[in-house]
Amino acid sequence: MNILAAVGIEVPFTLPIVDYNAIAPLLILLGAGVVSVLVEAMLPRGSRRFIQLFIVFGALVAALAWIFTITGVRVITAEGAIAIDGPALVMQGAILVLAILGALLMAERSIDPSGDAFAARASALPGSEDEKQFTARGYLQTEVWPLFLFAVSGMVLFVSANDLLLMFVALEVMSLPLYLLAGMARRRRLLSQEAALKYFLLGAFSSAFFIYGVALVYGYAASTQLPAIASVLTAKPGQTSLALIGMALILVGLLFKVAAVPFHQWTPDVYQGAPTAVTGFMAATVKIAAFGALMRVLYVAFGGMRWDWVPMMWIIAILTMLVGSIIAISQSDIKRMLAYSSIAQAGFILVGVIAASPAGLAGALFYLIAYGFTTIGAFAVISMVRDESGEATNLSKWAGLGRKSPFVGSVFALFMLALAGIPLTSGFIGKFSVFAAAIASGDTWLVIVAVVASIIAAFFYVRVIVVMFFTEPGPQTASVEVPSVFTTIALAAGATVTLVLGILPQPVLELVSNADLFIR
Amino acid sequence: MNVYTPILVLGILAFAFAVFSVAAATFTGPKRYNRAKYDAYECGIEPTPQPVGGGRFPVKYYLTAMLFIVFDIEIVFLYPWAVAFDRLAIFGLIEMLVFIITVLVVYAYVWRRRGLEWD
Amino acid sequence: MNPANYVILSAILFSLGAIGVLVRRNAIIVFMSVELMLNAANLAFVAFARMNGNLDGQVAAFFVMVVAAAEVVVGLAIIVTIFRSRRSASIDEPNLLKY
Repeated sequence: MNILAAVGIEVPFTLPIVDYNAIAPLLILLGAGVVSVLVEAMLPRGSRRFIQLFIVFGALVAALAWIFTITGVRVITAEGAIAIDGPALVMQGAILVLAILGALLMAERSIDPSGDAFAARASALPGSEDEKQFTARGYLQTEVWPLFLFAVSGMVLFVSANDLLLMFVALEVMSLPLYLLAGMARRRRLLSQEAALKYFLLGAFSSAFFIYGVALVYGYAASTQLPAIASVLTAKPGQTSLALIGMALILVGLLFKVAAVPFHQWTPDVYQGAPTAVTGFMAATVKIAAFGALMRVLYVAFGGMRWDWVPMMWIIAILTMLVGSIIAISQSDIKRMLAYSSIAQAGFILVGVIAASPAGLAGALFYLIAYGFTTIGAFAVISMVRDESGEATNLSKWAGLGRKSPFVGSVFALFMLALAGIPLTSGFIGKFSVFAAAIASGDTWLVIVAVVASIIAAFFYVRVIVVMFFTEPGPQTASVEVPSVFTTIALAAGATVTLVLGILPQPVLELVSNADLFIR
Repeated sequence: MNVYTPILVLGILAFAFAVFSVAAATFTGPKRYNRAKYDAYECGIEPTPQPVGGGRFPVKYYLTAMLFIVFDIEIVFLYPWAVAFDRLAIFGLIEMLVFIITVLVVYAYVWRRRGLEWD
Repeated sequence: MNPANYVILSAILFSLGAIGVLVRRNAIIVFMSVELMLNAANLAFVAFARMNGNLDGQVAAFFVMVVAAAEVVVGLAIIVTIFRSRRSASIDEPNLLKY
């Protein structure tokens, strides 16, 4: 006997309907994550790495293949909590492809003579006798793989969350493993742990803002589902102050993940301290996931308050572009420079978000995909450039690198040109489509600022090329280690996509414009 | 029948179980007196006198406490299910089984990694 | 009692937490302040659930609690690791990463 019925309360009740076909990619990833934990628990140390790699790549490829079979699905399922629509599928696909490349970088173990990119035992004290022993015995911290799978599942869920509460859970499922991954570098472990602490404390702080914003919006709309919020906004347009404060707090949480100024402080520290493979993976995929959620919240839930958020986003976009570009100029560490570059790029993508038009959405999606491949390729190169103490990230060590290793130098130059937005690279098409959409929506001044910021940004991208090719290699010049097939594939994929999207962008442009809008 | 009868029955059952446990322990348990028997809860660190500034706890407690918190909080999801489990029927049962199995996998991990051993 | 008062209390708790994060220097206390902010959100959810007359807010509070517990585990793991390698939990001391 039901308790509520026993005391005479009748609650209308329907069983939740879940479209398992549409959310199968997510279920595959989460299931693989659980199996992966089980492997860690049950199997002997020696066999774990091979089996984990099998599970990770198997799950990623299976999820990606499933997405190709459901390209036509446009459905809101799981009691309105998950929306599988065009943009969600495009972003899920992009996240999965980039996650495969990221996993390839993380699986690399030929570059570092003592093992892969992660500490032999993350719990051993840096510099201790234990640590030396674990390293000498060739231990690998294979727990990175379940963490990686959970992070990817979180991202895949994040871009399709249609309910603010689920979005919060997805945000944490995505972030918590990344905090840990950031702190597990094999070399420079104090730096890495410090990055993890900063990332964690600031990330937890921003997610607290997010959830309090959700609470306020719930107070206003009596629901946390995005379409329901939109309909309440149209039903009582007068008293929106609670919704306005709530929206602002939610945006703080999302803009933190996007790394927009003034919520960008963590980016350079985390990008520099985290293992380079993790930085590459995170830089490419978190950006897509966070922008996906940001656009869904702004367009689906708060589309009716457009005139309230556009001025706010204008200021943030302008600050992000200018601060990112200007501070990047003074950086002497290549990973820090790419971190500020990623802040500036977030600003350019925000220009497309502000346009709030189908063209703006398509432009932002294209930009995110192009940026993801270029970034992951650039970090692949950084992981290969080393000297005796590990990765040589200081720019002075890169002097003359292009002459010493012309092939890798030219590939990195290609990535820099793409990030700068030079024609015949994917970055140019991305910037062009975003700016064109913004002009069509009447944001001409914003585009003018964006173009100025691009010119400033081009300066430091080109400076790296100048340092690499127009300086004589000296004794301090780092050398390029020969990677195994893993990094080679990731690098080749990054370079090929960067080039192909610059010369033949049409298929991907069509893909993103045919993705329709977010469903309500 | 009054709707409060089940609650009364439940109360009696709970009381009976408590009495049974205490009585059974008195009759069947081994009796070996040692110093630990005089500690509060027969384990852990001395709560009094408190050291100046609160003192430091051995880091071992942190692991145990953390594991407890995680597994403890998971149980919160059983409450909403318990309220409506009959109407959720087989769907709810399967969902909760999946949930419990997931928690069990984590338990297996903790166990195999010797997170439950004190030394 | 008017449930709006609970919302005001939650706003006060949230602000206290935010101030704590900004002014305290011990990583553990900073982290406790973050937890206070999450619990302020919980209080707001429950109060709004009462005002709105539906249960969504109470369920939301469950999820926030679970997420907060997961955050505690990850956060304490990171803080304890830092403490072991530096013998300090001050957030001013980790300063290897800067311009």
